[in-house]
Amino acid sequence: MPDNPDGPREPIFVVSDVHKIYSSGTHALRGVSLAVRPGSVHGLIGANGAGKSTLIRIMSGVETATSGTVSWHGEPVSWTAPGQALAAGLAAVHQHTPLVSTLSVLGNVFLGRKDSIRWDAARREAQLRALCERMDYDIHPQRTIGELSTGGKQMVAILQALARDAQFVLLDEPTAALSPHERDVLFRSIRRLRDQGTAFVYVSHFLDEILDLTDRLTVLRDGQVIVDAATSEVNKQDLVTAIVGQRLAPVELQNASSQGSTGEPLLVVDELSSPGRFGPISLTVHAGEVVGLAGLLGSGRTELLEAIYGADRSASGSVRIGSHRLRHRSPRAAVRAGLALVPEDRARQGLLRDWEIWRNISLPYLSSMSRRRLLPDRRREREVADQAIADLDIKTPSADAPVGELSGGNAQKVVFAKWLYGPARVFLLDEPSAGVDVGAKADISQLIRRLARAGQGVLIVSSEFEELLGACDRILVIRRGQIISERPVVDTDLHELTALASGL
Amino acid sequence: MTSGTATARQRGGSGWRRALAPRSAGVVYALFALVLVLTITSSVQSRPSYLSSVNVSNILDQASLTGILAIFMTVVLITGNFDLSVASTAALAGTVALKLIDQHGAVLALVAALLTGVLVGLINGVLVQKVGVNSFIVTLGTLTAVRGVVEAILNGQSITATDAVFERFETAHWTMPQGLAIGGGTVLIAAGVAFTVRARLRQLTAGNVMLMGAGAVLLAIGAFRPLLLDETAPVWLMLGITVVTSLVLRYTVVGRNLYAVGGNPEAARLSGINIDRYKMGAFVLNGFVAAAVGVLYAGKFDSVDPTVLTGSELTVIAAAVLGGTSPFGGSGYVAKSVIGTLILFTLSNGFNVLNIGSNYQDVVQGAVLVAAASLYTATSTRGRGFITSALARRRKAKPQPPPVTGAGQPSPAELGTRS
Repeated sequence: MPDNPDGPREPIFVVSDVHKIYSSGTHALRGVSLAVRPGSVHGLIGANGAGKSTLIRIMSGVETATSGTVSWHGEPVSWTAPGQALAAGLAAVHQHTPLVSTLSVLGNVFLGRKDSIRWDAARREAQLRALCERMDYDIHPQRTIGELSTGGKQMVAILQALARDAQFVLLDEPTAALSPHERDVLFRSIRRLRDQGTAFVYVSHFLDEILDLTDRLTVLRDGQVIVDAATSEVNKQDLVTAIVGQRLAPVELQNASSQGSTGEPLLVVDELSSPGRFGPISLTVHAGEVVGLAGLLGSGRTELLEAIYGADRSASGSVRIGSHRLRHRSPRAAVRAGLALVPEDRARQGLLRDWEIWRNISLPYLSSMSRRRLLPDRRREREVADQAIADLDIKTPSADAPVGELSGGNAQKVVFAKWLYGPARVFLLDEPSAGVDVGAKADISQLIRRLARAGQGVLIVSSEFEELLGACDRILVIRRGQIISERPVVDTDLHELTALASGL
Repeated sequence: MTSGTATARQRGGSGWRRALAPRSAGVVYALFALVLVLTITSSVQSRPSYLSSVNVSNILDQASLTGILAIFMTVVLITGNFDLSVASTAALAGTVALKLIDQHGAVLALVAALLTGVLVGLINGVLVQKVGVNSFIVTLGTLTAVRGVVEAILNGQSITATDAVFERFETAHWTMPQGLAIGGGTVLIAAGVAFTVRARLRQLTAGNVMLMGAGAVLLAIGAFRPLLLDETAPVWLMLGITVVTSLVLRYTVVGRNLYAVGGNPEAARLSGINIDRYKMGAFVLNGFVAAAVGVLYAGKFDSVDPTVLTGSELTVIAAAVLGGTSPFGGSGYVAKSVIGTLILFTLSNGFNVLNIGSNYQDVVQGAVLVAAASLYTATSTRGRGFITSALARRRKAKPQPPPVTGAGQPSPAELGTRS
């Protein structure tokens, strides 16, 4: 690629031929090179697992590279702590920047500053106000972080980075939680600071933002640089191809087998909405049908599943299971009506770590496995657990093992097993194969197809669209809390889904 | 499948071993050790035998009401909450009962007292579960406020009642027939053996060990110490409630869900369990029982004064913690909390019997509590206690001989400290 014509200035930050191999053996980066010039915004894009986060962590001094060099103003550096990068003039906004939720906005923006021993609140407040004025953003310096919205917190994290007058700012998915107004404020500030000479690296899943904002972009795939070019020279279609690669053929082949006739509507969601999370959404899942919900982080996908399941009390709209309308908004009512949820975070939401496999599996339908619905029949509970271990091929010495000792994939199978031996008719699966190894992934997708064949309805949320293409009959695309598109799986591909979900 | 069964048998075989390990049965050993020390000391000093039936009955009687409170405190702790208000609630219920008994009769007095307890429990439960205030703070508030109500009712005076129904019940002695004790003990041992033999894997489970242990104790007392079969009503009440509550917690859906709600509220909720109902239920039950205990305590002397039972909530919580109940919810055994209560009362009784200055009593009790809690945390597989990590570090630092059978694999304890 030729040099950027408007970049005669020396790069402020150069990464050359960086490799990163984790102790687990994962080869996350395979020779990545990148040069960022002052007064430019450099976009960094790639699918999940492409190595973006690793690169960001290495650039900001959180991790060190296995080999290769990182240079700052032409000098090779080896930062081993974020503090060193900060002192040099590099600020980072991570996806989940830790803020102290009990302190004020002011306290957080100037957190960790050591420029004077005295906490001069008046001077700091004046500084913050001046910054906000320049950005044209209004936030009360004395408000406590805990009372801000997610977007507000994200803005504080951004203010924290900008208030340092850093020469180089890393932004990792800064807009996922922001409102449109906050996004505009951020973009304006980035452009203004760029014109004053600040360099930015901007990571985002939203391709429209990347094309709109950046001067240059780098596409990572499988730890390698696929594209490094001026943004104006890049064509949208090429960009999507660069991100997803050419891994489409096997997925479509698998899919042909799952095509079956679908029955009457099992799950009917009508005008369901939750203020500030997602707009009014209607959808239907038929018996024997697998429906995918394709959306990026922050698109409202998890919130939608939780609202269908009754875990979000502020939601309004109606949910029907078969002919039964859910009146009470509670998971208990949902479970009784025949809904099942495999939650996103299995350790926190799905399992009791210290409990044995059999006690975890019997939890949702314990009364039905009990004598007189009161005295649990342990023999039956164990039988069910042994059945589940055999059916789902859970790797464990026995049903008595605590689930905390299982690997991610096997633990996830236990979460599935909780719902398989009861009256559940509609399965809501939130990222069912996140943090699961390849073998277990295949088992889980087989299980999903078995459920559909048995006449159950399945609704899957995933950010791995290949997985959805392999498992679903129909795919709904959700973006910024709205379903923006519906596609039968035979009429779509990874290109189109990626483009739709990322807003092209 | 055969290999799986073999491993299962191996794991199952360690069931009783785990049950008798210091981590799970430590509180029992501690009680044994304490009694042993006191017995030896008193015989060396040629005082009357410490283990005399009179003294043992005495300790049991003193511990009984606190023991009952500790049982239900354990239930509240299992659900992941905290109740500091029990002693104040008991004091209020006792006051209400004695205020009403002479004019309106015992039944009405009892009902009013129990309703008072239920009301306090309900207030606690609603504030914690529906409003969302931390249970420690809510019950610290009710601890103070309810005590204030007691003081307002009594206005600095102590009151006495002439109707001695509660006193008669509190001090009544019930004697278990010797034959029943011997027969019952034999039946329990036989049942333990039968269950073990009939079990799928012929394994000795923790439950069966306990069953046989209880049978052996009953048999031994029936055969050699028939005097111990004569106890006051509260002692029998405590033992009965311990058995019933243990069975409910272990063998019913309600019990299972109580543990689930405390162990991982979010997972329990998403599994369709109404967590508010269980957590509030525990508070209400605790208030009800505290009221019943308060009535018995007031009945003991047929009088109450404004400071009655002050500070007892701390003894109750100490007993539960001594018994290994997790203050974070999800685990705990009522029987062990009762044994924890016995340890505390044996200690104070020992100080009296040996005539050691009671000045040091609180120091020792406090030290025992902290030592027990440290031990539980340090030996916990998931604890981040520095002892565990220090041990793990030493194990790692030690130059290992070539690993024999998976010695290179980190133990769960090490994993726990690392994650």
